[in-house]
Amino acid sequence: MKTLTELSRDYAVSSLTTWQSALSQAEAFTNRFCELDGIPVVQREATLLAQQFRQQFLPMERNDGVAGRVRYPLVGFSPQPMGMGFYCDFDGLEQGLERYPETTDRGQALINFWRGRTTEAHCRAALPPEAARHLPSDAWFTESGVGFPLYRIGGSTLDYGKLVHLGLDGLETVTRHTDFAHVVPLLRGTIDFYIDQVDDGEVSRSLKTVRHGPPESFRDAVQLIWLYALHAGSWNYGRLDVVLGPFLERDLADGVLTWDGARELTCQWWRLMETVPCQYDHRVIVGGMGRPEEAAADRFALLAIAATRATRSNHPQLTLRFHEGQNTALWERAIDAIGEGCTFPMLYNDDVNVPAVAKAYSIGRNRAMDYTPFGCGEYVLGHQGIASPNGVINLLKGLEVALHGGVDPVTGYRVAHVPAVSQLQSFDDVWRAYRRVVEPIVTALAVHQATEYRVAAREAPFGFISALISGCVENNRSAIGGGAVYLGGSLETYGNTNTADSLHVIDELVFKQRVVSLPELVEALDRDFEGASELQARCRAVAKYGNDEGLADAMAQKVHNHICRFTRDQAKPAGLDSYLVVVINNWANTVLGRTTEASAEGRRAGEPLANGNNPSSGADVNGVTAFLNSLVRLDPGIHAGAVQNMKFTKDWFGEMRPKFDALLRTYFAQGGTQAMISVVSREDLEAALREPEKWGHLIIRVGGFSIRFVDLPADAQREFLTRTFN
Amino acid sequence: MVAHSNQSSHLSGIVFDIQRTSLHDGPGLRTTVFLKGCPLRCAWCHNPESQKIAPQTGQSGKVYGQRMSVDTVMQVVEADRGFYESSGGGLTLSGGEPTVQFGFCLALLQRAKESGIHTVLDTCGQVDPNNLAELIPWVDLFHFDLKLSDNQGLRTWTGANGNLIEANLAMLEACGSKIVLRCPIIPGVNDTRMHAAFLDTMEASGRFERVERLPYHTSGLPKYADLGLPQPTFV
Repeated sequence: MKTLTELSRDYAVSSLTTWQSALSQAEAFTNRFCELDGIPVVQREATLLAQQFRQQFLPMERNDGVAGRVRYPLVGFSPQPMGMGFYCDFDGLEQGLERYPETTDRGQALINFWRGRTTEAHCRAALPPEAARHLPSDAWFTESGVGFPLYRIGGSTLDYGKLVHLGLDGLETVTRHTDFAHVVPLLRGTIDFYIDQVDDGEVSRSLKTVRHGPPESFRDAVQLIWLYALHAGSWNYGRLDVVLGPFLERDLADGVLTWDGARELTCQWWRLMETVPCQYDHRVIVGGMGRPEEAAADRFALLAIAATRATRSNHPQLTLRFHEGQNTALWERAIDAIGEGCTFPMLYNDDVNVPAVAKAYSIGRNRAMDYTPFGCGEYVLGHQGIASPNGVINLLKGLEVALHGGVDPVTGYRVAHVPAVSQLQSFDDVWRAYRRVVEPIVTALAVHQATEYRVAAREAPFGFISALISGCVENNRSAIGGGAVYLGGSLETYGNTNTADSLHVIDELVFKQRVVSLPELVEALDRDFEGASELQARCRAVAKYGNDEGLADAMAQKVHNHICRFTRDQAKPAGLDSYLVVVINNWANTVLGRTTEASAEGRRAGEPLANGNNPSSGADVNGVTAFLNSLVRLDPGIHAGAVQNMKFTKDWFGEMRPKFDALLRTYFAQGGTQAMISVVSREDLEAALREPEKWGHLIIRVGGFSIRFVDLPADAQREFLTRTFN
Repeated sequence: MVAHSNQSSHLSGIVFDIQRTSLHDGPGLRTTVFLKGCPLRCAWCHNPESQKIAPQTGQSGKVYGQRMSVDTVMQVVEADRGFYESSGGGLTLSGGEPTVQFGFCLALLQRAKESGIHTVLDTCGQVDPNNLAELIPWVDLFHFDLKLSDNQGLRTWTGANGNLIEANLAMLEACGSKIVLRCPIIPGVNDTRMHAAFLDTMEASGRFERVERLPYHTSGLPKYADLGLPQPTFV
């Protein structure tokens, strides 16, 4: 499946006509942008979005049960989907110019104008020199490096409860004298666009209802939320069972909707999410502590699971929060769905997570109940805050640099000043060198995060997000400009497990058993173990994290505690309310592995890093209970989300289902936070490799997201196959 | 009892595998400990590395079997206590024939039972009756192999003493032990109508918790080559 960016770009370059039209739109936006130079940024955002939305919203298609489709322009404004703030799709422009060279002058003019003028460029330029020195590149997808900044306002989870309570008239009233006054008129403009297209019927009635007052039905509420989300460019929906449950309950009781009708409508909505493809987002949360109308919320939760089982898609990323005493039907239906291979819902254990979030954020239990996983598994405190993940750090690369005197052996870039490898005489020396590489980069990324918010807040109010983030309307300040109750950030860490396993191998083989010196080991790593297969075998034979073995797991705890605590402590100096590690995964483990040299746990150069908090692929050999026992050793009270991927064969279902149930329940009772579960067979995966055209339905959990297996790049497919089947 | 366990805690034996999260070796989620040594030589044996008690090194360099103390084994077994409790699982002793290392086998079963862990003993039945009698109080469920119904066939294909096995099964029944009959169905050996009818009779007798018919599989064949043993030729 292509990303939204790719789809939008593909459409633009699909013919000379569409390309010229896309260029014209981009030119019009750019011209207007220039004309508005110097006017207040609120007015600029309102004016430019009005222009953009006229092109961005597309007509309904035949089977759409809800109005709202979008395609993004080459140049425009968004919080994240196409880039942060004022963006320009440079790659798309270059692709189009290559295909239609006759438009070179026009395209090149756009490229020349926007180079250095996007919000992203402004953020990069504003980064203080010391931080910039630690973050020399933004190209984390292709270049070698330890830390990389990301540019986005991601993961906002809007207060849709407020939206459906106030309705647009109410929202217009409360935002009238704020920087977000343009939100409701723009939304109404789009509603009118759709009203003009549809015949009288349910969709038309819903649109007319929500144009002014609060939604009166489940359908109205879905329609309003969907259109709002598309305007906001914010595609994590938070606790929809809390918001939609009462509407559903009322409609079912009044006979306005049947259960089947409600499920079909929900399926139609789920399918519309696929038209805005982003496998990292589209989180829908159901279940969990702190739901005021729990029975009604449960109805929607069951409906959402039923719709997910019916659509068998990777949109939305349905997420079940659960706790002791919750309606057991939610758990049962969730396991049904997982056993069928849906990969959803993902399971989050509130009995562990609520206290952990309270500790990590230093907040009370009630507020912690608002924790909301978004994207690939990061938490945000619902609509109380913003916590965009805007940094990436490759810890294994950090260790690699520490073992090369502070220099990245791939690029030759001096990252830090640490002693030469021959000077590292003890494990503590190695540990100190690793810290000296990693810590300044974490600090730099925290500074980057705060800088990014500051610069972006100066450029625009991000009205659609701010209007539904608590604290913004009340104080008339944007979500990232001092309005949100909590303004935090998170740091995506990768290679945690490989780093711990490598450090454990170094400790064992170099300093305890003394079978190899550290320089000799590093030399073997530099040769990618060529001519050192015996040493590589010894490295591999040392116990690894994920096997319920004391020393290996203790090293994983040491690495985890260090990076999580050090990161947490950077919040205050950077001026953030929180700055926390997230141990998630897209396929960054595969991407970052490509530029990471061989490592001491036995991994060859270029091979993928371990996924999320998981053991390295194939390293967990003591069975799934041992793996789960290792997982729960990592303190959840010092980070903002860590994903635990598990791959089970179909043997666990059918008559073995009670054992599967017991396995998961015990894991959670012993402190498990979360589980993302793929149920597949090796035979199916191998068949999908051979005949991808026949296996489009095979959905697997990669890390922080699910995807059709056939859509993965070849190396990521291979990496998934090597993970342990339980 | 406690004194007995304390004395036995430093006992050791030869273990060739410990499988955690076993799904098919008894009720619930289990840890199966495989002890080396077997009095039988079943032609179809899928664990040829289990036959001799002493550790062996295959041609690949792989070592089959290591000496482990009761404490060490139980440390692994105890690690999954929570999973046993939620699933009704526990410890399964298998082999080989676990009773060949009788003292070690008894000590493991005692330690498990004393700490409230459910026990299953996989046995082929070719055991000294006195030893078997001593084990009975420490075993919650016997997995008792029933390979062939006639003594001659049993001797030919496995080297077993059918009378002894029959007597031991009768003793377990007389003592009220819970028994699951485990019956490998081997092509060319016992996949006959007569054997199937015999198993049906046993199943209908109500004497056993269950009769499990286990299909033959070839997953053990590479181990014959690694151990320098001739491949099984019964088929």
